[in-house]
Amino acid sequence: MGSLSQLLYTARDSLTAQSYGLSVTGQNITNVNTPGYVKRDPLLESHALGTSTTGTVTATGLRRATDIYIERRELTARGAAAATSEQDKQLASVEALFNDLGATGMGSALDGLFSSFSALAANPNDPTARQAVLGAAGALADRANAMAGSLADAKNELLQQAQETTAEINKRAQSVAQLNQRIVLAENQGEDAADLKDQRNNLLLGLSELVDIRAIPDDKGSIMVQAAGTTLVEGTEARAFSIDLHADGSLKLSSTSVGGSGTNNEVTQFLTGGKLAGIKEARDVDLFDVSSRFDKLVFDVANAVNAQHAAGYGQDGVTGRNLFDVGAIPTDAARNLRLSASVAGNTAAIAASGDLLTLPGGSDNAVALADIFNTPLSGGRTAAQSYGDIVGSIGSKKSALEQSVETQQAIKEQVQAMREAVSGVSLDEEMVALTRYQRAYQAAGRVLATVDELMQDLINRVGR
Amino acid sequence: MRVTEGMKYSQVLSNLANITSQHAKASQEAATGVRIGKPSDDPIAAAELARLSASSSQTKAHLSTINTVRGDAELTESTLDGAADIFTRLKEIALQASNGELSADDRKTMSVEVAGLKDSLLQLANARGTRGYLFSGSQVATAAFDPTGVFQGDDAAHVVQIGNSSPTAVSTSGAEAFVVAGGRNVFSDLQSLATALSANDLGAIRQSIDDVGASQTQLMNARARSGMVLSKLDASESVLSSLDTEQQKRAQIGAADPYESYTRVTSLAQSLERAISVSRQILELGGSNRF
Repeated sequence: MGSLSQLLYTARDSLTAQSYGLSVTGQNITNVNTPGYVKRDPLLESHALGTSTTGTVTATGLRRATDIYIERRELTARGAAAATSEQDKQLASVEALFNDLGATGMGSALDGLFSSFSALAANPNDPTARQAVLGAAGALADRANAMAGSLADAKNELLQQAQETTAEINKRAQSVAQLNQRIVLAENQGEDAADLKDQRNNLLLGLSELVDIRAIPDDKGSIMVQAAGTTLVEGTEARAFSIDLHADGSLKLSSTSVGGSGTNNEVTQFLTGGKLAGIKEARDVDLFDVSSRFDKLVFDVANAVNAQHAAGYGQDGVTGRNLFDVGAIPTDAARNLRLSASVAGNTAAIAASGDLLTLPGGSDNAVALADIFNTPLSGGRTAAQSYGDIVGSIGSKKSALEQSVETQQAIKEQVQAMREAVSGVSLDEEMVALTRYQRAYQAAGRVLATVDELMQDLINRVGR
Repeated sequence: MRVTEGMKYSQVLSNLANITSQHAKASQEAATGVRIGKPSDDPIAAAELARLSASSSQTKAHLSTINTVRGDAELTESTLDGAADIFTRLKEIALQASNGELSADDRKTMSVEVAGLKDSLLQLANARGTRGYLFSGSQVATAAFDPTGVFQGDDAAHVVQIGNSSPTAVSTSGAEAFVVAGGRNVFSDLQSLATALSANDLGAIRQSIDDVGASQTQLMNARARSGMVLSKLDASESVLSSLDTEQQKRAQIGAADPYESYTRVTSLAQSLERAISVSRQILELGGSNRF
């Protein structure tokens, strides 16, 4: 049988427990808009007082409402979404370079050179028509240089971005390792590590947008993080990623082993998600593809024009002169394309005539030069067709990416909604919880008052 | 399913962002009239437009070539017409002079007229067009005939591309019109008549009638050839013009249909308004009377 004074203790415990519930509810409400905050539930337990049959209540702690599977899926979904959206963003700038619809592409320069040859054929001895050929050829070279330069700049910029992203990954990995240590320590000392876990969770969410990660918790409260197929954080140790270049200029991602023993393992091929994967895909696949096709086109056009031009005669009776200087191989052809020094500034050097004897009025070579633009080049396609193919392939890649950005975004939002459903704060629920603890607190106060009255009665009667 | 505050807000946010971006794109399309502003808007059409712009600029270049060479072709035709007229007159003179009743002085007078006609013929044969001397072949900077009537040009044709067929010659050969490449040297025939007239050589004058007639035929044939060049230019031009119109029509695949885009903007604007009002209701729900 319990005594009155025992009941006092019970009421005291109840007041403590209900106010704990109130404070947790308050914390939940306070953090309703805090990113990464996981809703807490107070854990209350009934508790026997000594050997007596009456019991009381104690707050044994908190429960963070999480679901490890949903969290894992969110990490993956965020990584995939970040990768496609990064790739899409980078391809947008390439698309802008090749946007003939917005008058920035190479199409008009190719057309201009053709038109200038055609006008030269109409009047081969006209200095203005010859000047126009030089102008159009120079414009083509300038345009090719500018576009190739922008592509190269984009490549360099992406390398820099990859390095910055890697540095950010390493920094976050360090922080995760430190938090692991603090969480394990706190839990060992029986403290509540919920805030630290929220922090670590936020870090992981951020990290998942940079590189594809998997988080595997152990039973001591620490989390092992795998990134790009290799271990990034294990317990209190974080490894580091580094970026450099392969011999062919593509990105190489390596991870250093713990303890800095110096062995670098290449993990490039395991990189599948996050901003870093998007950068790599944009740089080493999209940009590489576009610039090599563009170089090939410029190389083929320049060589075809050169061969025909060299076959003709300038007004000065000289033959064998190239119109363009272009390297011996397609690589970097667009960046190296120049008006040949032997014709630059020299209108008489333009070879409109195919025969020394038909100078200065012969137009057959000019006609043949113009005809290059209707003749299939090495790929079996004319210059305009090849250029159209490049534009079309950038367009379809970009439009496919836009689709997949939308899809990935939708998946990410769905998983986020799932996590919110488990871990988010609902003000409706908190309102009910608030009322519940408030009423329970008031009732416990009432118990206390009742016990007090009883005791007072007893003291008054006995003391008389 | 538990509905939390975070879910509500992010749902509202993503709905609004989605409709706003659709609305912005549709507005831009309606305002600019351009459906394909960048390759990814319609990759196939964008590639098609790039190729189309190349063929369209070729058509325009061919049209401009026709315009450039047409002037010279017309000038060639009228010049050869004038040269043939001179030989018509020469033939008349030769026939007149072959009349045995004329005196030596009469024939002398005629020879003066023939000398004058030679100067006119020389002027015509050395006519200049935009490209240079019309009848010098490729030697456009050199007069076709020197003052004594010696041919200084060549027989090379001026070729240009005025369509997708093989290159076309748009010049009329001066050599074929005036010198032996065509069969007769018209200046020699004229000179023989002049010499016969001043020498009062009736036999030579009678011989000249046939020669001058042959020269006249040669010039008229050349004139006919130059007429053919002109009609070829006209035919090509009409084909190219309709091709140009057709290509411009096809380039419209990049343009927006004004009715369609306007309708879409209007309906998206309504959706946006509805979404905003629904969002407001969601966000206000319980906000004022919960606590």
